[in-house]
Amino acid sequence: MAEPVSQVVASMPRAKFAALMALFLGPSVAIYTLFSIYPLIATMGLSTYTTDATGAYRFAGLANFVILLTDAVWSKPFWNAAWNNLIFFAVHMAVQNPIGIALAGLLSLPQLRFRGFYRTVIFLPTMLSVVIVGFSWSLILSPLWGVAEGALKAVGLGSWFAPWLGLPSTALATLALISVWQFVGIPMMLIYAALLNIPDELVDAARVDGLGQFRIFWHIKLPLVLPTIGLVSILTFVGNFNAFDLIYSVKGALAGPNFASDILGTFFYRTFFGNQLQLGNPTMGAAVATVMFFIILVGVCFYLFVIQRRLRRYAF
Amino acid sequence: MLKQRAETLGVHVILIAYSLLAIGPILLVVMNSFKARNAIFGAPLAPPDATTFSLVGYTKVFHASHIVTYFTNSLIITLVSMGLVLLFGAMAAWALTEYRFRGSTALAIFLSIGIMVPIRLGSVAIVKMMRTAGLNDTLTALILIYVAQGLPMSIFILSEFVQQIPKDLRDAARCDGVPETRIFFEVIAPLLRPAIATVAVFTIVPIWNDLWFPLILTSSDSTHTITLGVQQFLGQYITDWNSVLAALSMAILPVVAIYVIFSRQLIGGLTAGAVK
Amino acid sequence: MASLSIDALNKSYGETKVLIDIDLAIDQGEFVVLVGPSGCGKSTLLRMIAGLDAPTSGDIVIAGRKVNALAPAERRIAMVFQSYALYPHMDVRKNMTFGLKFTGVPAAERDKRVAEAARMLRLEPLLARYPRDLSGGQRQRVAIGRAIVREPDVFLFDEPLSNLDAALRVSTRVEIARLHRLLKATIVYVTHDQIEAMTLADRIVVMNQGRIEQIGKPLDLYYEPANLFVAGFIGSPAMNFFDVKVSRIEGGSALVDGPCVAPLTVPAGSLAQGDSATIGVRPEHLTIGGAGSLATTGQVELVERLGEASFAHVRRADDKLIVAEVRGRDTPAAGDVISLAAPAQDVHVFDAAGRRLVTAESQ
Repeated sequence: MAEPVSQVVASMPRAKFAALMALFLGPSVAIYTLFSIYPLIATMGLSTYTTDATGAYRFAGLANFVILLTDAVWSKPFWNAAWNNLIFFAVHMAVQNPIGIALAGLLSLPQLRFRGFYRTVIFLPTMLSVVIVGFSWSLILSPLWGVAEGALKAVGLGSWFAPWLGLPSTALATLALISVWQFVGIPMMLIYAALLNIPDELVDAARVDGLGQFRIFWHIKLPLVLPTIGLVSILTFVGNFNAFDLIYSVKGALAGPNFASDILGTFFYRTFFGNQLQLGNPTMGAAVATVMFFIILVGVCFYLFVIQRRLRRYAF
Repeated sequence: MLKQRAETLGVHVILIAYSLLAIGPILLVVMNSFKARNAIFGAPLAPPDATTFSLVGYTKVFHASHIVTYFTNSLIITLVSMGLVLLFGAMAAWALTEYRFRGSTALAIFLSIGIMVPIRLGSVAIVKMMRTAGLNDTLTALILIYVAQGLPMSIFILSEFVQQIPKDLRDAARCDGVPETRIFFEVIAPLLRPAIATVAVFTIVPIWNDLWFPLILTSSDSTHTITLGVQQFLGQYITDWNSVLAALSMAILPVVAIYVIFSRQLIGGLTAGAVK
Repeated sequence: MASLSIDALNKSYGETKVLIDIDLAIDQGEFVVLVGPSGCGKSTLLRMIAGLDAPTSGDIVIAGRKVNALAPAERRIAMVFQSYALYPHMDVRKNMTFGLKFTGVPAAERDKRVAEAARMLRLEPLLARYPRDLSGGQRQRVAIGRAIVREPDVFLFDEPLSNLDAALRVSTRVEIARLHRLLKATIVYVTHDQIEAMTLADRIVVMNQGRIEQIGKPLDLYYEPANLFVAGFIGSPAMNFFDVKVSRIEGGSALVDGPCVAPLTVPAGSLAQGDSATIGVRPEHLTIGGAGSLATTGQVELVERLGEASFAHVRRADDKLIVAEVRGRDTPAAGDVISLAAPAQDVHVFDAAGRRLVTAESQ
């Protein structure tokens, strides 16, 4: 560490320095530890207990996890939710990020007029609550109102229309696309910011070399923003495997039809709080949360130790 | 030259089309919320006019729900959380950037865990804890959780901003005899104002919009937030389209208004290079 | 009594030694300039005097008080930073009074001092402005004003002119010299610019690689550099050097010769037969076609014309370049082969270790 030790700090009495650090760091560390780290650990602890008929907690080792992963009553919905969650994530990666990159590329074109207007408008849905967005789309897609059907008819595709949110085969993909619609602003803005950091001289040099705008984007700019795309991917991963609000507000806790849109977030909620079909089970809920934690941990570690190390950051 | 014109035109066509896709649904909901029921279904794409204009949905929302309470609750929770996240976050960011002591690096890593691991996964213990502490169904519980949730990201963002403040400033203050605490509060903190927008996008907006914690921690109308309140209202009045559209619009419009007013700062904050 | 003294000061970061055995005593009212190439440790030394960094060993004494354990504010110093370090969110007056609040200066006294400093620095019309509305030169004056109001025992300047453009640099330099006379203050001033050092200093401290090479009055350093480093560092264009060998010692004289110089006799000092040595001569002491004890020839490669003088870059037969100053309009042309000479009293002799021999003439 080349940072010199400040004389002011070095000559401060130990107790005074400790008091200073406690003043600056104390509130953050206390609140964060008590309401974020402790509950995470305590939840993992609870996942190793079961409750008996009297409601008393009893240590059970990994029994909850064995039940969750092997007992058909639990494992079938669990694997269904995990698989659906993977599809939910895949749709985001396949649709949200390419669209985000493309929009960022267009917005960063030199001498583009109305840039600020486009940015503001396209980012707007991201600012809204998932609940509001989900509900608005369910109205629009509803056959009762007929707005979506009307829009398709207007372009001669009326026969394509179906109550997408209601069909088991399309409900999950439709919800994923609604989420993409809302959050495309995040990859767009982060990649746009990264594109702005590329020095103009580099782009000018490529133009002098005779490259067109598209090739400049593909061969020069895109490789330079790969680290940001990696960051966007892990943010998407964490967000998706932790998603709940959208499915819950559009399809309810049962994530219908027939659990076709059930993901880990809704499965966790049902397990923990119960619903029309089952009683709430806090320790089993804790076990589901622990599994979700490890899924996210694996994703984050994969990002930190594999992806991020391969994507070189260039200094300009 | 001609080719370039055509290209530019193409770019604008794509961006306009996408912009319409982005705000079309929002406009549609807001527009129809001001219309009478038969006009909502008869001509959904038409703006309200003298014959179709109606505020029936809004009056119903005001009568049938505690929307004002929800709104006030959301405002209190968000503002208090924001104040604490900014204050504590800036203090911690300054201490971690400026002072080295044994364990400071470990502490920085510890505080950054929360950037990636969602606090939601600790919900089972949080509910238990809040019940034990008697904080169940209080705004305090939500504020504490949101501050814990927002701190890691805000410390990360604010640290980047702290590093951009010239080192000479704190040296000058030390030569001037300014005590260490005053250096932070009177020299550094005022210079962190541009960071507020970035912190707001990443930690404050999610607080306003959150459904999960109000859902699991609050049970009475007096503590519901706008997001939860509207969600429950919508579930209850699902067939009353006037009310549903009005409730949605009432949740959308304040956010859009604030967003439009501050969009320059918010987007500037987002692209300020805090996250590279 | 010395206003500031530094005894056996050392600073290292891990294995890297940044300052080595620094000893320095500065008198009350003296203007001392620390000069040296970047990385020589001059700024670190200044920061340690200020109390911003802690020394590894050694003492710093200001006005008779050992200040090692004192915070900057308790040392009765004031520092002017290269970046000015003005508080951007405070107006000029607040910038100047902010620190005084914490050192217990009463409000009336604060106002008096600000008024005084503002008058001295012609800052009165700017007192209500913010740093962002000031030009570079004005910011510089505010930074100096902020130092003045503290009424310190020692002023510390860290490269204060390096962010200014050339014209402002000259006028601010004059301003600082005027303030020094006016305040009769003790000043330690760091710069890498030898012209600033020469024009401002009562005494110059030349530093290199963490050590003090020489301490002396500006013209003493110029005419009697202690060693090759100081000889080469002070003066622009730099002194010309010739590698020579001692071929004979005769009484008090040594006969030296080497590539491209005619054999010449220099005072022997500590030289012995067979020793390597270096002789140096400044460009302005070389004359074309003249006679002198040092004589060399070469081909003119380039002539830089400055007006009152020109510099001829001359390629010697051993492929080294030397520079000679030519005054007036009559300059040689590129390609000319010329002979150059310098009188004995302007020739410096350095031994194999780079130390300058103290000769009879220069004593």
